[in-house]
Amino acid sequence: MNGWQLGLVLGLMLANAAAFLWLVLSVGTGKAKKDPEGTFADQAERDVEHIFNEEFREELRNRGRLHFEKIIGENAMFLQQDLRLTTSQLNEFMKQEITEKLQEEFAKYEQSIIDAKQMAIDSITKTQAAIEQQRQAMSQQLAQEIATEKQRVVKRFEDNMADIVNHYVLAAIGDQIDLNDQLEYILADLETNKEAIVRDITDGA
Amino acid sequence: MEHSQKPRSISLPVAVVGRVDLGRLLREVEGLTDFLEQAAIREPGTAQAKMPKTSRLLDQAIEINKLNLLTNDDRNQLRQFLKTVYQEAPVMHMSFSADPSPNFTQKLVAWLRQEIHPFVLLQVGLQPNIGAGCVVRTTNKYFDFSLRERFKAKRPLLIEKMKSFATKVEVKQVEEAHA
Repeated sequence: MNGWQLGLVLGLMLANAAAFLWLVLSVGTGKAKKDPEGTFADQAERDVEHIFNEEFREELRNRGRLHFEKIIGENAMFLQQDLRLTTSQLNEFMKQEITEKLQEEFAKYEQSIIDAKQMAIDSITKTQAAIEQQRQAMSQQLAQEIATEKQRVVKRFEDNMADIVNHYVLAAIGDQIDLNDQLEYILADLETNKEAIVRDITDGA
Repeated sequence: MEHSQKPRSISLPVAVVGRVDLGRLLREVEGLTDFLEQAAIREPGTAQAKMPKTSRLLDQAIEINKLNLLTNDDRNQLRQFLKTVYQEAPVMHMSFSADPSPNFTQKLVAWLRQEIHPFVLLQVGLQPNIGAGCVVRTTNKYFDFSLRERFKAKRPLLIEKMKSFATKVEVKQVEEAHA
């Protein structure tokens, strides 16, 4: 219900009340003015009393009450309709606003998620690149160290293998060679170094 | 050491190898001298000291030098000779992978006294890790005639042989892999 409709209803109600009051007052004042003509006045008063007796007045009151109740009921109905309409509009408005807000928030949230995802992807990509770079560096270093270690092991193997073979041969056949059989070779070695031995013994040089 | 002053008429038996044998021989001679001196001053009727038995070393020394130890001159000459040799004779150290037999030692000493020095003494050591041969140490020098040293000297040849063998094995493996 619009404001002008409510105003119109209230205006009609006030006009009825004013007309009723004017009618009551005019009846009262008319008696006093016609007092000089007492007979008419009394007669009129009696007529009025006869016309507007208690039953008629009660009937008027009832009708007015009913009319008032009707108007009030109608207005209440209008008001209820307006309230329902307003409520529905308000609900619609709230729903729309909430939906928009939620959509905006969801959009912001989605954008935030997308940004975070992108940042995570960038971070992961950078981390993977760093890891790959580190892996390559470590692979190169490892390969270099393996090569160095291999060379060192090969060198140690070559150096020690001769000792191992010699030790094995000496351990294997050392006990099997009789000293008497070695005497000839020992004397030959002594003969080869005889001069040095003699010089060391005689001269101490 | 003044070798020219040594009594050339006396020589060491080859059984006397080192200073230990020489010391034992010297103690025997001194014991014999003591016995003979005691016997000379012994009065008749008193208990006679037992004559010490001579060892094989002393018997050889007496035999090869044609000495008569009953005479003071020969006895004193031998004792003086042994003392001089004990104090001044050159000593050679020879180490072997096993304990040498007396026959081996005597042959070696005979050669040393014939070729190196007539009174050289030999101290025998044991080094099982040399495998074969010997290690000789004189006063100032060290001679390694061991099989270990020969192997060490031939190490490049061994490494070369091992490398060639490894190369052959690798080539064979590659051929087998391709096949």
